[in-house]
Amino acid sequence: MTGLAVQSGLFFRRKLLETLRQPVWIITGLITPVLYLALFAPLLRSLAGGPAFPPGHVLDVFVPGILVLIAFGAGMGAGWPVIWELESGVIERLRVTPASRLALLLGTVLRDIVMFLVPGLVVIAVGAAFGYHVHWGGLALLFLLLALLTAACSATSSALGLKLRQIGSLAAVVTGAQLPLTLLAGILLPLSLGPAWLRVLGHLNPMYYAVQAARSLAAGSVATGTVGLGFLVTGVVAALAVWWGTRAYQGAMS
Amino acid sequence: MSAPPMPAVQVTGLRKSFRAAGAAVEAVSGIDLSVPAGEIFGLLGPNGAGKSTTLRILTTLLRADAGSAVIAGADVFRAPAQVRRRIGYVGQLGGADKEATGNENLLLAGRLYGLSAVDAARRCAELRAVFDLEALAGRPVRTYSGGQRRRLEVALGIMHRPRVLFLDEPTTGLDPQNRANLWEQLRLLRDGGTTVFLTTHYLDEADQLCDRVAIVDHGRVIALGSPDELKQRYSADTIAVTAEASPAVLDAVARELAGDPAVSSLAVEHGTIRVTATDATRAMAAVFCALSRREVPTRAASVARPSLDDVFLRETGRSLRDAGSPAAIAGAAAAEVAA
Repeated sequence: MTGLAVQSGLFFRRKLLETLRQPVWIITGLITPVLYLALFAPLLRSLAGGPAFPPGHVLDVFVPGILVLIAFGAGMGAGWPVIWELESGVIERLRVTPASRLALLLGTVLRDIVMFLVPGLVVIAVGAAFGYHVHWGGLALLFLLLALLTAACSATSSALGLKLRQIGSLAAVVTGAQLPLTLLAGILLPLSLGPAWLRVLGHLNPMYYAVQAARSLAAGSVATGTVGLGFLVTGVVAALAVWWGTRAYQGAMS
Repeated sequence: MSAPPMPAVQVTGLRKSFRAAGAAVEAVSGIDLSVPAGEIFGLLGPNGAGKSTTLRILTTLLRADAGSAVIAGADVFRAPAQVRRRIGYVGQLGGADKEATGNENLLLAGRLYGLSAVDAARRCAELRAVFDLEALAGRPVRTYSGGQRRRLEVALGIMHRPRVLFLDEPTTGLDPQNRANLWEQLRLLRDGGTTVFLTTHYLDEADQLCDRVAIVDHGRVIALGSPDELKQRYSADTIAVTAEASPAVLDAVARELAGDPAVSSLAVEHGTIRVTATDATRAMAAVFCALSRREVPTRAASVARPSLDDVFLRETGRSLRDAGSPAAIAGAAAAEVAA
């Protein structure tokens, strides 16, 4: 019997080839993040230095947020192909093979992590050229943290696709969750700008802790409680999501 | 003394219900089957009869509510992982990855069943030749025609040389030539020792392809046997002869034929004599004899062999061609969703 690692590798390769065959996705995956930098950062420039805005260069505040958005987007897209694969019978066929259900899920998760890493590195490169301060140690940990976030989003999206089975329902759930999740994480605008009740709601959002940790790491503060909490919360959510996604792939039979 | 050969598929008391629109619909209501290794076995029945649900249970995709099923020695409920290693499955939807090439599909399937990269490539080449996919295998599957895709999907199902190959409505949507081609492939597989277990709602498919058939309706097996056995057990040949004669003369012919032991029933309408007979040849001779003795010219004559539809009609009072009650179809739809 082929092992879990080999099977995950086989599914990862399959998913990566699938993405590489659709150049449109690569273009939007790379250009959209850069557009964020080019179009949104100038807006924030006037806020920077104002009340309740974190100190530092505007890109130092903004780049970690873009990275979180890219991680979220790379992961949350996983559910759509799952529904196409349900409709074309691919998943049914794979369920009748001895393939590990965890490997089926991880193939997509690993592909999505790549789909986060590549545009993420582009953003760092472009951001650095425009004044973003790179802290190498923090950055490595930041990418590790956000790879975990991508995994959590990807597994959740796959599980939702398998459970909902319809593009319309999946789109409703994902877009419905996107606004509160991203806003209440303080990704684009820091939550410190908002009233107290908004900050309380933010603390209930698991993504908030990832964003806080991301800002800390991007600023080069590695050994902080914020970072530890960010890794803890994101790690637990990712583990739960992978467990849920694997169960969803199992379907009615184990 | 050697033990009796193990059946390829052994099913006992299989049951499965689904909830559809708030009510429980029983899709499979106690199915028993035993399929010896090396035959082509067909589940024949209308839409919603429970064929696909049964197949989905046997292929580990669905859990039954009750009963047991053993495939090639492995228990479907206790050891689904072992069952998966011993079976191949070609679903109704096909399941080839359309964005990938034929080769990529085949190689991935081989690797998932534990073949090494080298062995998978060798087996892939073998199947490309058998299924006439040489010229296509490097192209994405979405560019294939329906028949080409079906050939690839069957190849995917047997990449690991399974003991039992399950196919759900394998020829639906295929043109006659591709259909004949697939039948031939399945016969070759059977001749090579693979047990082939399929569902179909086509009478001719069950009749001409299958060695044995279970006719199912409302989740039950209502008749089981070889197509010839079933037809002989349940039905007779029908002869129709149209003659140019007055109703009085035809009535006289009918009275004479009614006494013939080869004739089991008889009717005259619009100048046509219809006879059902257990022995068509003898009955046909008797009809012509009676007509020529009265010098009645015949205009047309035909013999209809019994079909499996007659068997279905006898058992259910409905024709298989228009069977499939709304409730049963709702149950089947629920099965799709639940799966």
